[in-house]
Amino acid sequence: MILLNVVRRNLKVFFKDKGFFISALISPMILLVLYATFLANVYKESYMSALPEGFTISEPLINGTVVGQLISSLLAVCCVTIAFCSNLLMITDKASGTIGDFTVSPVKRSTIAAGYYLASAASTLIVTLSALTVGLLYLSTQGWYMSFTDVLFVIGDVILLTLFGTALSSCIHFFLSTNGQASAVGTIVSAGYGFFCGAYMPISSFGSGLQRFLTFLPGTYGTSLLKNHMMNGVFREMEASGYPAEVLKGIRDSIDCNLYFFDAKVPLWVMAAVLIGSVVGFTGLFVLFHVLAKRHIKKQ
Amino acid sequence: MDNVIQIDHLYKSYGDVKAVSDLSFVVKKGELFAFLGVNGAGKSTTISMICGQLAKDSGTVTVLGHNVEKEFDAVSRKIGVVFQTSVLDKKLSVKDNLKSRAALYGITGKAFEKRLAELSATLDLGRFLNRPLEKLSGGQRRRVDIARALLHEPEILILDEPTTGLDPQTRRLLWNVVENLRNERQLTVFLTTHYMEEAADADYIIILEAGKIAAEGTPLTLKNEYAGDYVTLYGCSEEQAEGLGVSFTKVRDGVRIKVSDTAEVTDLILKHPELFKDYEVTKGKMDDVFLAVTGKAPEGGDAQ
Repeated sequence: MILLNVVRRNLKVFFKDKGFFISALISPMILLVLYATFLANVYKESYMSALPEGFTISEPLINGTVVGQLISSLLAVCCVTIAFCSNLLMITDKASGTIGDFTVSPVKRSTIAAGYYLASAASTLIVTLSALTVGLLYLSTQGWYMSFTDVLFVIGDVILLTLFGTALSSCIHFFLSTNGQASAVGTIVSAGYGFFCGAYMPISSFGSGLQRFLTFLPGTYGTSLLKNHMMNGVFREMEASGYPAEVLKGIRDSIDCNLYFFDAKVPLWVMAAVLIGSVVGFTGLFVLFHVLAKRHIKKQ
Repeated sequence: MDNVIQIDHLYKSYGDVKAVSDLSFVVKKGELFAFLGVNGAGKSTTISMICGQLAKDSGTVTVLGHNVEKEFDAVSRKIGVVFQTSVLDKKLSVKDNLKSRAALYGITGKAFEKRLAELSATLDLGRFLNRPLEKLSGGQRRRVDIARALLHEPEILILDEPTTGLDPQTRRLLWNVVENLRNERQLTVFLTTHYMEEAADADYIIILEAGKIAAEGTPLTLKNEYAGDYVTLYGCSEEQAEGLGVSFTKVRDGVRIKVSDTAEVTDLILKHPELFKDYEVTKGKMDDVFLAVTGKAPEGGDAQ
């Protein structure tokens, strides 16, 4: 009951700041427009040129492939970067001293931590699921090959990645105490995460040492999961159209639908397990930080 | 229980800086206890330790018989804190703020509505219950802060510079509320303030300097010890005053003489009855006490 009220308070504070909420909501849309404007044609030409001689591909299928990859990459980044943006309340509460108002009450520290986590996850989910809806609508106008099950899996992936982003940002934000620090971390994450998770550039295009390093990061598996489920339909269509297995494997390898951990192909269920494990691990760590934390030291 | 707060040999350091050093005192039930000192004297550090917000280096802090560090849950239900600055959510309405904080104590639903109605009547919150906190005046916000501190009907109210920046009318309103609560519920009030006139109404005062007690006592004993008295002789010329054989200051309608106590005044009257036709004996002020003890003038100045 107390947890529910803490979550309710955190959500109210988040949504009352309309400017912040709207900017969080439109940033994925802006990214989508930028992707579609500047990268769609580059990707399309890249696919076309990579096809073996004599192969033709229908316009909806190539568009479905390109847009599917763009949207899955965009969502993989947004689920984490938006979480970093919407998970600022714990820092704002520290900066304003509001956290002291909670800690003088009998509420447990683990409840305060869980309240921040759940509220942040909920507000981030609203934004990321909105972005997913817009992305799917855009995909339907370009080339739709997804089944209902694919859509459900994609929704599941977005939820998992959002929880992952929330848990990760919670652990990092725990150590921050000013809005300036949060802004700096947000900028670094926004700029860098897309490269580290294989969203901006496929990991397969990096050197082998970097590839191996990136396979130790859980975000990589989240991106691959999303790409797999988002593009499952186009691969099925390609297979039905008679594309050779080697060509399909080549495409899957080139866009990280196939991930290799020390040369062993990682199954989808393992990717999901890594992500779930990371969510559980980071969430547990965050709660542990709160429980073990010494009492908040006030400035004299 | 007579002692509601008991501090024994409390120490707290930040690196080489001893914020609190061997501090011991008690606060008795129902009293208005003033905790004074210049900035950096250790007031906020001590309050943070009483409220369980800061770990001590050594010593013990006991609130209503409960060790603060070991039994914080019990302590937290007995204390209400008004922080130096408002720590409520500025974007939320007064009601939403109070609702979210009341829930921390398990006060929800009808119990909350009932408590809200009581506090609203006591602190006159009715007109702005549904307005966002950021739209309220400083005085209105402070009333909401006090309502928040009283939500769970605490036995001890900790006021950390509650009236700083408020106009005299709002200050008076707040003190009237606190005074009523003390009378009706025997609420113990632990106060830090820069306004010495507020401290003058306290039952007991401690003046802290560099983490240690520099002076303590009732306002009367402190004034007697550190401030002395003044006697003002109206209609007395400078020439006549020189005949008294004491140093004096010329004021508009006469002269003012600083005396160590009222016995000295009696002595002067007996020796020079012809000059004491219209006179006034005044006690020294808490500002004088503070200045004498700390060597620095209080930051708030005169409150009234």
